[in-house]
Amino acid sequence: MEETLAVEMRHVRKYFASSNVLAANDVDFEVRQGEVHALVGENGAGKTTLMNMLYGLVHPDHAEIYVYGEPVRISHPDHAIRLGIGMVHQHFKLVPSFTVAENIMLGIEPNQFGFINGKSEAEIVRELAQNFGLPVDPNARVSELSVGMQQRVEILKTLQRDARILILDEPTAVLTPQEVHELYNVIRRLADDGRAVILITHKLLEVKEVADRVSVMRRGKMIGTHDVADVTIRDMANMMVGREVILQVEKQPATPGDVVLKVENLLVAGMGGVPAVFGVSFDVRAGEIFGIAGVSGNGQTELIEAIAGLRPVDGGRIMLLDHDITDVNVRTRRTEGMAHIPEDRMTMGLNLQTNLDENVIVTSYQKPPFSSYGILNFQPMRELAARLAKKYQIASARVGEEIKTLSGGNLQKVVLARELEGEPKFIIANQPTRGVDVGSIEFVHKTLVEERDGGAAILLVSVELEEIMSLSDRIAVIFEGRIMAVLDAADATEEDLGILMAGGTLDKKE
Amino acid sequence: MLELMVKYQDDLRRTLLIGGVILTILVFVALPTNVIQSGIRLSTPFVLGSLAALIASRAGVLNLAIEGKMLLGSFIAVAVLFQRDLDPAVGVLAATIAGGVLGLIFAILYLQIRVNLIILALALNLFVANATVFFMRTEFGVFGTLADPSIRGLPTYDLPIIKDLPFIGELISGYNGIVYISWMMVVAIWVLLRKTQFGRHIRAVGENKEAAETAGINVTRVQIFALTLSGMLAGFAGSFFSLGILSQFLENMTAGRGWIALTISLFALERPLPAFFTSLFFGFSEALSLDLQNSETVSFLPPDILLLMPQVAAIGALVLVALRIRGSELLKRRQFVAQFSKELGDLKRMVISPGQD
Amino acid sequence: MLKRLQIVGGHAAIPLFAVLLGLVVGSFFVFLAGANPIQVYDQLFCEGFGSRGCETFDDLLIVEAENDDGELETHFAPFYGERGHGMAIVLEKATPLILTALAATIAFKAGMFSIGMDGQLVLGALMAGFLGYWIPDQIYAATGVADFEAASSVMRTVMHIVVPTLAISAAMIVGAIYSWFAGFLKVKLNVNVLISTIILNAIAVQFVGYMINFPLRADFNNIARTRAIDDSAWLVPFTRGLFSEIEWFRGSRTGVGIIIALIAAFVIWFYLWRSTSGYEQRMTSGSSLFARFSGIATEKAALRAMLISGALSGLAGAIMILGVERRIVDGFASSGTGFDGVLVAILARESIAGIVLVAMFFAGLQQGAINLQFGDLPRQLGGIIIALIILFSAMENFFRETMSRIRHRIAPDAMTQTSDDAVPVESG
Repeated sequence: MEETLAVEMRHVRKYFASSNVLAANDVDFEVRQGEVHALVGENGAGKTTLMNMLYGLVHPDHAEIYVYGEPVRISHPDHAIRLGIGMVHQHFKLVPSFTVAENIMLGIEPNQFGFINGKSEAEIVRELAQNFGLPVDPNARVSELSVGMQQRVEILKTLQRDARILILDEPTAVLTPQEVHELYNVIRRLADDGRAVILITHKLLEVKEVADRVSVMRRGKMIGTHDVADVTIRDMANMMVGREVILQVEKQPATPGDVVLKVENLLVAGMGGVPAVFGVSFDVRAGEIFGIAGVSGNGQTELIEAIAGLRPVDGGRIMLLDHDITDVNVRTRRTEGMAHIPEDRMTMGLNLQTNLDENVIVTSYQKPPFSSYGILNFQPMRELAARLAKKYQIASARVGEEIKTLSGGNLQKVVLARELEGEPKFIIANQPTRGVDVGSIEFVHKTLVEERDGGAAILLVSVELEEIMSLSDRIAVIFEGRIMAVLDAADATEEDLGILMAGGTLDKKE
Repeated sequence: MLELMVKYQDDLRRTLLIGGVILTILVFVALPTNVIQSGIRLSTPFVLGSLAALIASRAGVLNLAIEGKMLLGSFIAVAVLFQRDLDPAVGVLAATIAGGVLGLIFAILYLQIRVNLIILALALNLFVANATVFFMRTEFGVFGTLADPSIRGLPTYDLPIIKDLPFIGELISGYNGIVYISWMMVVAIWVLLRKTQFGRHIRAVGENKEAAETAGINVTRVQIFALTLSGMLAGFAGSFFSLGILSQFLENMTAGRGWIALTISLFALERPLPAFFTSLFFGFSEALSLDLQNSETVSFLPPDILLLMPQVAAIGALVLVALRIRGSELLKRRQFVAQFSKELGDLKRMVISPGQD
Repeated sequence: MLKRLQIVGGHAAIPLFAVLLGLVVGSFFVFLAGANPIQVYDQLFCEGFGSRGCETFDDLLIVEAENDDGELETHFAPFYGERGHGMAIVLEKATPLILTALAATIAFKAGMFSIGMDGQLVLGALMAGFLGYWIPDQIYAATGVADFEAASSVMRTVMHIVVPTLAISAAMIVGAIYSWFAGFLKVKLNVNVLISTIILNAIAVQFVGYMINFPLRADFNNIARTRAIDDSAWLVPFTRGLFSEIEWFRGSRTGVGIIIALIAAFVIWFYLWRSTSGYEQRMTSGSSLFARFSGIATEKAALRAMLISGALSGLAGAIMILGVERRIVDGFASSGTGFDGVLVAILARESIAGIVLVAMFFAGLQQGAINLQFGDLPRQLGGIIIALIILFSAMENFFRETMSRIRHRIAPDAMTQTSDDAVPVESG
């Protein structure tokens, strides 16, 4: 069939001078009319950057772009919108103090001589919502809407601009299962309408469920485009990571010892005081890896921050080795044997502004030999840095030199090296392999298992189900701030976990 | 306390506003006519300056260069008229344009070249303060004061009908054009922000730049416009110093009033009407201060201390706003805990209790 | 060593480029005023940094002068102090700049963007100016001695130590408290430091103006002023005390202040880069999340930095009054010395040695411009050039990115290798 392509991108190249990253390396990409086209890849593969270029938010160094066969040069979202392209970003781009109608009509306000006609604005939005079967209250303030509603406003925003090409960036990351389901229906309907829907995601199940075709990106390169019906999830996973994924981690059965961390009825409020962790209880024993599985945004961050001492606890208790640490500061927790591999190594795990030495002593600078009488001793600092760089094979790290040029995997190794120094009894590992290369993933996994075998209690949080399943000895599933179940890793199946992660329950078969 | 504050924040705000208006009216009644008149005159640059500051803030740029733009305006207004025998309105116009041009340069340096905002503003202020004096010397050959018979002050106008009103007519009529225009600008800026497309774009850009950008608004263009407008207002305000009161330019004539205008805008939470009333308060305080310096009477409240009050209030306002945010968060937290304890019974059944294994 | 030099060179390249650009654009103003830029700059630098007899740039290094016998002798210019040296005045003018720039730097290096140095400085100055006569008054009243002249030499010595120490300490405490307040608002209530310090500056400037005009006004002098400080509080300039023999200092009021400033610079350097407290606040500024995550008491570190910052600003104000001005005259408060310090700090890029150099450079430019004679050029030329230099140096990113873009265009493939493993920016 010789139909005009909705979007055709050829030889796209984009280099970020500030971070020295080639985000798009001669990428080709095309989308047909009336299809749902999934664009998949790991974090940092360049999917969002590619779409931002199509939407005029990022300017390519080189590209040939055709929209409905016409060669275009998109300099600004305004231009993209005129071409019929709409984008719903992962983080919604709404003005919180504006109403739904004001947000939807932003930039295209009905006006006379520059004066806005508020009434007809609300009318237009009401009509629009009706036509597409996406009901909203035009006069509600966006700051008071639920996340799903806000996403609906975003979609309506693009539809009001008559978008024929719709880009959705990780749209399900923040939604509840019902909302996800609803969204799939909306996406299908829009595609059946003849619109082209581009779905950026890294969830392969989602691709299977809703997409017609899939394009896979890896490290700034386009790996290939296939009909979804022709590929399996495993195929896609291989294309994403670049080689046969060996997810099975070599490890012996755990020999759990005493309880190291005990969490009782923990209650934590999130940003702006909204409930995030809702009465969570569990314990982690010495010599085991306790995994927490769940879709991101279900309270994992708040839970971890509360345990690590970065967020005030609103109720319940946290016990570390029989000490109540609910209200003690981070330093005390650390001296009691806690180590923390944080989710975000760029801003939390490391200080990219300074050198390797100062990064590796941050948890021990106040103690000898690194300082005496409040004055830093450089020699021991250097020695430690050199020793850790060697032990963890951080090849490009040099004593006394800045670390911001290191790769993601090496940065993570620096964090690991520092946190595991001094034989911690309890280790929090929050998304320890996010955005690192495959080689480093294996290294991180191996190191964590070694620590477990050495008798440490490890709390592992990951949104990658496979990571949880291959590393953990016991698995808890978190959903909307509640622990849905705690399973033995040996008994847990992907299906069971999937149901629990979506908020379902398992009928006990025992 | 916090609960009360959060609960009644709107009432609180309304009460404060009404209180402020009543206070202003009381001041009107209590002060001698000449002081009120000079107060209104002196408040004019604050009104315009704070509008300049708030229009920039609303577009998401803290304009720390108001001072420099004002000073440039007051210099240009006089420099253009010097020995040319032109209508003073030409000077005002030139000052407005000069302020606008400086605003535009500021915008381009900040938005396109991405110079650090604070450095840029401080450097521009420093530049204008020195350049005005420099040119006063090199171009006009004078020290300290630039004056000439050819430079005439702005004429005053009586408002028809209003001037014949008893009492009030005397107070709100008989000023020069800038004063009246400043009042109109308060309304105009309010209408601009609330009722027009461009104003909504400004607010959207200031509140969530990315939202505006993805909605197809050219953020840079909106900010450039807002900063240019801000510069024009500041330049216009500056011309009042040199042509509205004295018909001459003095070295460092604005003497920090640009900074005060900025704090007025902050205190008023970047809203035009509160900014207007705050400016009036400053104007009256200054007028009173001048009046007391001239007369020999000793006042029970030193007027300079009066000048401090709005600034202290500005800090107070910052604290209140911050407390309100903290307070509402704390409140939500407490509600969350309360709600949880209610549901605790249900939860216990849902939560898989530890130690099962 | 070579590598280290390279790094220093890399840091200094942009500021030097900015200085050059500032001078070039500044020459446009000279030209407008009808003077020859080369001649003007010769004189500007000679007056600012040169010795007597300095006429051109060359004379900044080697100067020729007639000796008593009327013969021409060559001298190494920086050490040639016959009838005073420009650098001596530079030291005097640079003192408050160094101190306020240190104040700014230490705040910035804790992640607090405080520009409150101006307000803290004037409050410190007021405190020192007041105590500078008030404390001696109390002492004289208590001891029955008429004035400083009448006191015994022991008493004079003791007073010379005690009075300035007390006055300076009080000034530092006032500055520190004022600065701490802004820090407290930030740490506890998340009030923007930049905004709160701007307002606090305005309050302090107005308050000091009021104090000079009313309660502390000394006489009916045309321009309001406070009483002069007592001789015992005076930080005696080198020319009248310690180094009265050394001609080099003639004509300047440089005194113990510059020594205090240099000591302060060293102490701050040591604090920031060698002490654990400095480490804590640097980590806090680099990434406050990181610092909190590691167990550093970030709030404490930030508040400590604000306290030190305020104390330094107060110290600057005290030295200006006790060492140079000797009384506060109306207009002192609104002269904006504190802002100059912020600019010095920014231009020096948080380097302590850089601060000392930049402060002296600014002081020299300002001082040199005061004595310009060519084409009747006003001293504001110095300020214009400084403003331009600051502007240009703030365009650093622009220059760098332009350079990087050019480089990338020349050799695009050189970059692919390094990016293999790095994470691209996911904008969202």
